[in-house]
This record gives sequence, structure tokens and C-alpha cells, in this order.
Amino acid sequence: MTDGIVFSIEEFAINDGPGIRTTVFLKGCPLRCAWCHNPEGWSPLPEKMVKRGREETCGYRISSGELAERLGRDRDLFRDSGGGVTFTGGEPLMQSPFLCEVMDGLKDMHKAVETSGYAREDAFRSVMERADSLLFDIKLVDSALHRKYTGAGNELILRNLKTLIASGKPFVARIPLIPGVNDTRENMEATASLLQGAVGLQRVELLRYNRVAGAKYPMVGLSYRPPFDEEKEPAVYDAFTGLGMKLLVL
Amino acid sequence: MLRALLNAEKPVILEGEKIVGTRTISRIPSIFTEAEWAEIRKTHTLHERGTVSNISPDYEGILRDGLGGRKSQVLERAKDPTLTEEQRLFLSAAVESIEAVQDFIQKYRVCARSAGLEDIASILDNIHSVGATTLREALQLLRMVHFALWESDCYHNTLGRFDQYIYPYYRADKAAGRITDQEAFDLIEEFFLTCNKDSDLYVGMQQGDNGQSIVLGGRNQKGEYLFNEVSRMCLKASYELNLIDPKINLRCDADTPLDVFIQGAHLTKRGLGFPQYDNDDVVIPGLEKLGYSPEDARNYVVAACWEFIIPKNGMEIVNIDALSFAGVVSDALEHLEEYASYEAFYAYVDNCIKAECERITQAHNNLYIVPAPFMSMLMGGTIEKARDISLGGNSNNYGVHGTGLSTAADSLAVIKKYYFEEKTLSLEELMDALHHNFKGHEALQEHLRNDAPKMGLDLEEPDSIGSALLKSFAEGLRGKRNERGGIWRAGTGTAMYYIFHAKDLPATPDGRYAGEVIPANFTPSMFLRQKGPVSVMRSFSKQKLEDAINGGPLTIELDESIFRNDESVEKLAMLIRSYIRMGGHQLQLNTLNRETLLDAKKHPEQHRDLIVRVWGWSGYFVELDECYQDHIIERIKYKI
Ligand code: SF4
Repeated sequence: MTDGIVFSIEEFAINDGPGIRTTVFLKGCPLRCAWCHNPEGWSPLPEKMVKRGREETCGYRISSGELAERLGRDRDLFRDSGGGVTFTGGEPLMQSPFLCEVMDGLKDMHKAVETSGYAREDAFRSVMERADSLLFDIKLVDSALHRKYTGAGNELILRNLKTLIASGKPFVARIPLIPGVNDTRENMEATASLLQGAVGLQRVELLRYNRVAGAKYPMVGLSYRPPFDEEKEPAVYDAFTGLGMKLLVL
Repeated sequence: MLRALLNAEKPVILEGEKIVGTRTISRIPSIFTEAEWAEIRKTHTLHERGTVSNISPDYEGILRDGLGGRKSQVLERAKDPTLTEEQRLFLSAAVESIEAVQDFIQKYRVCARSAGLEDIASILDNIHSVGATTLREALQLLRMVHFALWESDCYHNTLGRFDQYIYPYYRADKAAGRITDQEAFDLIEEFFLTCNKDSDLYVGMQQGDNGQSIVLGGRNQKGEYLFNEVSRMCLKASYELNLIDPKINLRCDADTPLDVFIQGAHLTKRGLGFPQYDNDDVVIPGLEKLGYSPEDARNYVVAACWEFIIPKNGMEIVNIDALSFAGVVSDALEHLEEYASYEAFYAYVDNCIKAECERITQAHNNLYIVPAPFMSMLMGGTIEKARDISLGGNSNNYGVHGTGLSTAADSLAVIKKYYFEEKTLSLEELMDALHHNFKGHEALQEHLRNDAPKMGLDLEEPDSIGSALLKSFAEGLRGKRNERGGIWRAGTGTAMYYIFHAKDLPATPDGRYAGEVIPANFTPSMFLRQKGPVSVMRSFSKQKLEDAINGGPLTIELDESIFRNDESVEKLAMLIRSYIRMGGHQLQLNTLNRETLLDAKKHPEQHRDLIVRVWGWSGYFVELDECYQDHIIERIKYKI
């Protein structure tokens, strides 16, 4: 049995898939998005966090069996509401062996995984096979810009997206709307053309940039300096409904 | 008295009004002078303001029989030669009160006619003595009767199962082709408006606490769940009007269609603090266990705040006193050293709770309530017995609230875990910390507040301790009789008692400072670092709630973000249904955001319309006393 590092479990998460859901945050992320609002999810290890002057440890070790048991307690609730469990992070695929074991322990319930897609292909496949649906982030289609704003190019991400589309697995495409970064017509149209014809696509969600993004940086000893204008309202450019895709702006 | 006041009222018919009756007298003079009240107090105790309050009149009956019908019943009864002088006096006062209301209707009729409002005049004609036959007549008669109750100085005048007793009139109109759904809806909406027109004149304990509650849904005598077109219209009207009255309760059960919960959740989104959800699966068996007939139990309604009462038959005083769970535990701790195990210590706590129940049940004698002849005409048994309702109805039970349950359970969990089991907390350290309000024990206090087990985390303990405390409470009251022949009902509500009890409460083992607030109603500690609403619901539905069924809801404050789209409102509906399926008895949901509240405290003039639900009622935030405001703000710090 594998141990994993979890940094939060949120009950009644309303934006992470159908029905009543619990969302599990797995620690560790290989990307460094300039707008990330969960910097405590970056390091793969437990770390110090200071909240309102009180020091606490962010992240704890838990075995796959124990986590599955805990999540399984709300089975009846999930069944009644068509809900289940969503895994996110950080980047949950960074702990894919652990994640697969937890999912194997939750055979009888709906499981969703939110991923940046930045993961080894075999890891991606093994998690995808076990999930009932995916929430797949598409931040920027231009690889150079992707590198500039997240610290890595997007080739791996786009390859995994292709795998996902080919599998027919239900998924939601999520695009964070960052003012002046990716809220352009060009980027939205490029994203739409990536998604065109994907049978598994349930809808596209645009997540408006949230101004509290920087709140947690000082808590983990970092400072937040976004290379874009936070005050600006991101533009909502709909390149999707015209192509027959459902769009939801959150 | 009622006659004099109704005589003094000037009829006012506002432009476009269909249902008339607006209060013009702003203060009802007391029936007694100060000296007379003092005289009464020498030999009697009074409850709150001393007049009849917080019961559920038989609107169904009066709408059917009409004022004239009721009057004949009284006159018939008065023929009995064996009546005592007192009985005779009561019956003649009753007739007089009915006639006063009839004359009042007559006055409005004259006014309507002279203003050329023939339709209003003819409706008033029709309801002057006979019962209602149409929806509009029913609502007009209901308005007049409800109006007269307020005018007769009764208060917390609830409206009961409105959708059930109004439905037949709607059906009849529909069947006869007299009305469209839109017209019916407009009438109901107008009736709701009338409840707000003069509601500033209706006093309770605080502004907004006027007790105009209505109950929708619930089972009929066959046990079938009812949610009809009128119920639906009520939710919609309340949603559209966005006003604090009437305050809606939604009776539901495990099988209630999701669609009903969704409509309820949409209304919750309004932020009015209602509907409150009441679980028939728990309440009905609980009331039956207390000795109510199955008919009465199935017909239950909700009093001004949350207490379960029976229309027509219940002359209960649902909030006569309160047990302070945290107070009892705090006192018991002074004897902690005498006990070698947690079980032995809890047995002592159990004894103390029962002793406190004994004291409470001995403390309420020689109750005096101001006679209420008109209210008596709307309650069962009064004509047969020729006795005023203030002297007692068909059931005369007393309800006792219980404050600080989670504070007490969390405190006992600390004692059990750290003192008895792990032995990491010594008697000396604990007592020194408590006696010195944690001075010099700051680290311990931090630890207790933040890390110790709490109700609301879905842990075996302290949840089972919470159950034990409620059980002790229920057992302590069981089998006891009050001076009116009724029983005593244990409950999970707190009303304003939680403020009083917290003030005198020393520091407690859950890390709470002396005098610091305790939670209202059946709600987790302020120190809970929430796992989330699901855990809270699980923790607060494990108890055998049907044995402590006086009423008192689990309150959850919701962040506004839940209501950004219909999909999440639907999820909220599913969550509410889950709580009902878990076996929770009563749920209140507030939608608040802390920043708004803080700002409202600083700039009340900018937030006049901000509505909150405090301990069972909705009112305007800026009108509340500061201690209530602070309490609400404190709660939301730990967002669920
Ligand atoms: S992928 Fe997600 S967790 Fe990782 S840096 Fe980007 S926003 Fe943050």
C-alpha cells in the first residue's frame, strides 16, 4: 500500500463535477503558473504554513487504504446525488501510483480527476482508465507563452489531451481566464479547434481569475508578483458555443 | 377591550388593494395598569409579556364555519343551565369578541362601498357571518381574523399549515372555472404583502421576531406527503416578494421529491434565512412518543421560531425555561477529582442534569395568562369546556430549551481524552487554567480550541457524548407533569437563553474564555475548524432527536458563492435532502458573507435591507443589538 501526501479535503465542493462531491487536494505540482492560487500545493512534501499568526503544517501523509476508507464513508450521499470524489492538487498525477490505489478502493463511486495534463503518458493513461471523468485544464495553446507563464512548454499536455479525446472518456475542459494572458480571441479559437469533434467533451468551463489568488503566498513564505494586470477584468471570448460546445463561465 | 380597539381603528383601503385590513393603532394599551400588574406578580408568575402567544389557531375551522357559525355554537352552549357564573362570563365575552370583529368587517364594508369599491364590499358582506367559499373570501377572512388576534394583544401569531387549509378554496375556484393560476398567485402574493404592511407594529422579543410563520408540505392523516399548487405558489411568492414575512417552514421527509428541495433552495438563495426544513420522519414519531395522538402529530406546525406545536389543540408554552448543558458540566467539573473513570464522572453529570430538570419543573407555578376570548374561539375545547384558552387547552405542555450542548460535549470529550485516557492533562493544570481564565495557560488554550475533538467533525466522540447529554435531558423531564396537567418537552433550541447562559459561564475545557459566546441552537462550537457541512450534518443527526423534539435547528451558514448558478443551487437541494435522510430533525440555512456583515456593522445606513436569521427568526441585521451582530459575524469566520 502506497502513502500519499494530501493537503486538504473539501466537503460539498460545488464546482468540481456532478452531484455532491468531496474534493481531495494532492500535494506537489511540476508547473508554476503565474496565477496559481494554491502555492501550498507546489512542494510535494508537507511544509510550514502561517495562518493568522498561527503556525501549522500543510500536508499530511496518509495511506491509500485509509484515504479510500474515509472517502467511502459518504458513499450513500454520493449515490443519492449522483456525486462522488474529485482529485485535484497541485497536480494529482504527480502521485499517480498512490492515486490509482485510492481509486481502486473506490470502485463503486463516481471519480473525477482534475489535471493540468502535465504528466508522463503512462501515468496519465493509468489514471484516466480509472476515472469516470476528467477535468482537463488548457491554459495556453501557444507553447512559448505556456513556458513563459507556467515554467514549461505544453507538448506533453497536448499529447495527453489527444489521448483523452481519442479514448472517448467524458471530460470537461477548463480554462482559467487570466487578464491579458490567455483571454484572447486567438487563444480561445486555438483551444476550440483542439476540442472540436471530441465526443467525450461535456462542456467548456471558463474560470474567471480570482483576486484572492495571492492570499496564501505569504503564508508559505513566498510573495505574489503576477506578471499581468490583476485589476483588469478578463475578457470572455466565446469561441465554443458556435461550434456546438456547451460553455459555462464560473 | 378588543371591541374598543377595533372601534378605534380607522378603515384604510389602499389603492389597488384586494385584501383589506391595515392596522392604524400603533400601540396596544395594556389591559392592566402598572399597579395591577404588580398585584398579579405578587401571587403569580408571568410568561414573557403575559398574554397568549406562540400557539397555532384553528384557521381551517373558522374559515369553514364563519364568524356567525362560531357565534351560534357559543350561544348554543350558553343555554346550558348547569354553567357556572365564570363559564357564563367567558361565553359572553367570547360572543362580544366575535361581534367586535364582525362590526370591524362591517366598518370596512361601509368604507369600501362609499369609496365605490363594490367588489371589496361584497366580499366583506360574504364573510361577515358565514364561512368562505372562494379563495379570495378565504384570504380576506383569514386576514381579518389574524388582524384581530394581533389587535387582541396576542402575539407570535403563527399562520400554520396555510397551503393545506387554503388549498380547498383554490380547488373549488379552479373547478368552477372562477380563477386562473395567475389570479390565485396574485391573491396569495397580496396576502403575503399584508403580513408585512404593518409588521413593524407587531412586537416580539426583537424587531422582526413577530412569529408570522407558515408551514408548507408535510403529511396528511393518511400519511401521504402533500405539496400542492398552493404550496408551490407560496414559495414562489416569497421568492418574488423578498420580504421577511411570512417566515416559511418546509415540512419534508426522506421521500420528498427533489424538486421541492430545489424550490426551497432557490428561496434560501434569497438570503431571507428561510425556509426552515423540518423532518416529518423524526418529528411525527417524536411527538407521538410524547403522547400526542397520531392525528395531532401529523398535523404539526412550527411556532414563531422552531418549536413543534399542534394547531387548534396545543396550548403549549414551548420556551418556558432552558437547561444550560455547559453550566451543568462546568459545575460538575469542580468535583472531577472524586471520580476515577470517565464513566463514573459522566454518571455524576447525568445526575446533575436530572437535578436541574427537577429544579426547572418545580420552578414554574401559579402561571397567569391574560384571558383571550377571541383566540379562544380559534382553539379546540374552549366552547365545550366554556373556558378561556389562557386557562389551558387540549394539551398544555411546557418546552424546555437546552443551551451549550456542543460546548458541553466538546468539554467532556477533552476531559475524557486528555484527562482520563491519555493522561496528558493533569487535574491541577486543568483547574488552574479554568479558574484563571487560561491566564498562563495560553498554549493549552490554543491546543484545546484548535486541536481537541469537536462536535461537527463527525467523530465518534464527542458526538456520542452529545447524544448522552440529550438523553439525560430527555430522561430528566420524562414523566413529570406541570401545574396545567401537561408534560415537559426537551429540545435543542436556545432562544435568547444562550446569551444569558454564556455571560455567567466560567472558562470551559474546550478552550472557551469565561463569558465568551456559546453557539445558538443545535450548532457546532465557534472554534470548530470545519471539515465541511457534510461532517457537521453527520455529527448533528446521530442523536436520538425524536426524544428531544421540542424543536431547535442545526444552523449552517452558507457562503454566497454556492448560489452563483442553478446547478449549485440544485446541489444545495441535494445536501438538504441528505440531511433529512441522515435523520436530522430541523435545518436552518443562512446565506451570508462576512465582509458584508462587517461593513454593515460599520455603515448600517448602507445595509438597511440586509436580512439575517438569528435564533429562529429573520430580521434586519442593522436593527439588531450589537451582541447579536457580533455573534453572527463570529460564526461566519469559520465558513462552512
Ligand atoms: S497547474 Fe495548478 S497547481 Fe500547478 S501551478 Fe498551475 S495552477 Fe498551480
